[in-house]
Amino acid sequence: MTTTDLARATLVVFVVLGVQHSLLDAVRVDGAHPDAMLLLPVAAGYAAGPDRGAIFGFFSGLAADLFLPTPFGLSALVGCLLGYATGVATRGLVRSSWWLPPAVAAAATAGGMTAYAILGAVLGQPGMLRAYLVPALVVGTPAAAVLATPVLRMVAWAVPASAADRGAQAGGGLR
Amino acid sequence: MARRTRRSRRARRGVTIGVLLLASITVITLDYRGDGRGAISWVKHAANDAFSPLHRGLDAVVRPIGSFLAGAVHAGAIEQQNAKLRNELNRAQSKLGSAQLTRNELQALERLDHLPWVGDITTVTATVVALNPSNFAATVQLDKGTAQGVAVGMPVVAGAGLVGQVVDSWSSGCTIRLVTDAASAVGVRYGSGGLALVQGTGLGRPLAVNYVDPGTPLSTGTLLVTSGLQNAKFPPDIPVARVTHVSSTPSATQESVSAQSVADLAQLQYVDVLLWSSSSS
Repeated sequence: MTTTDLARATLVVFVVLGVQHSLLDAVRVDGAHPDAMLLLPVAAGYAAGPDRGAIFGFFSGLAADLFLPTPFGLSALVGCLLGYATGVATRGLVRSSWWLPPAVAAAATAGGMTAYAILGAVLGQPGMLRAYLVPALVVGTPAAAVLATPVLRMVAWAVPASAADRGAQAGGGLR
Repeated sequence: MARRTRRSRRARRGVTIGVLLLASITVITLDYRGDGRGAISWVKHAANDAFSPLHRGLDAVVRPIGSFLAGAVHAGAIEQQNAKLRNELNRAQSKLGSAQLTRNELQALERLDHLPWVGDITTVTATVVALNPSNFAATVQLDKGTAQGVAVGMPVVAGAGLVGQVVDSWSSGCTIRLVTDAASAVGVRYGSGGLALVQGTGLGRPLAVNYVDPGTPLSTGTLLVTSGLQNAKFPPDIPVARVTHVSSTPSATQESVSAQSVADLAQLQYVDVLLWSSSSS
């Protein structure tokens, strides 16, 4: 990863963070809102493979944690796992269908939110599974499908796949 | 040769993910052990202080778009609410003369200005700058922090009653845990000395009123106010919620009671932080 890639990745994280807190936090349905920060590791895993997905997920999660009331490091842990899992799961997929990125984003976001709630409950945060998970899934999953394409484009620009991961992607890379 | 390369790549990947997981767990542990005063909290507070001017600038530009989108999502509900409010306004106008109406409004504003249950506690009026930043906690952020004397544990009220409690504060802002958060628990008093515990069940959901003995005469509309007990977590007599539902099950150890917060938590804009701590009670 070059210095330019690093600068681009930082820029993308801060732009998405700004949009999240100024715009998306206001779009609330039943107390939940779309979560673009959780989409960053998904996009990185999809566009750049498991290694870079995990690294980008960890650092974007840390940035998100700075402004959240939940335990610091929880988003980093989930982001790292999510970036890695998305990279591994989508490595062999033929990427010729337009619906693949939204479908991957929705499925991975649902998995990420569930993991977040489970890990939060393990860390002793009350109501994670019983009070908050269902509204977060109902709002966050379709929103992730809608936001998938612009976020993927930005992340693919900032975090290119390594030569080894590029070889493993089938069907001409990002769509 | 190719097999060896693949194996070494897999091993490297294992090391990367292992190091990241270990780093995450270390950070979480440091945060827990610091308990709001460690290095992690210092980093969080510095980031919030640095980001707040940028956040406010961005907010001014982007919030109208967010409000528009939020309005589009809730268009049906808003139309219904508008129709209901219009109807109520017409009814009120027909009942009252305009002079009487003006007098009532003035009295309401005066009540807001001198909240009777605040007493002589010093207050800091703050603006809500961020609503519910996490999907997994019911919190808001205010624009007043330690620089104005706001500290962790202080109660926060709006015109109608209790909003929540300060759970984190830094130089230029603070985070409030709303009474509807699943981690919130407020000791309350009702009627002639009955005690209960009001617990949050998530943003926009009714509050659960626990430890109400079976057979307690509690009716819909009963006002629940802070008890002043519970090691004085809150000063006494602040309105918290009104009972909306009571039902009893035979052989149950307590009544099933739910309540609605008296403060409109969905439309918070200005709140008062009470500069009060349990040691000052």
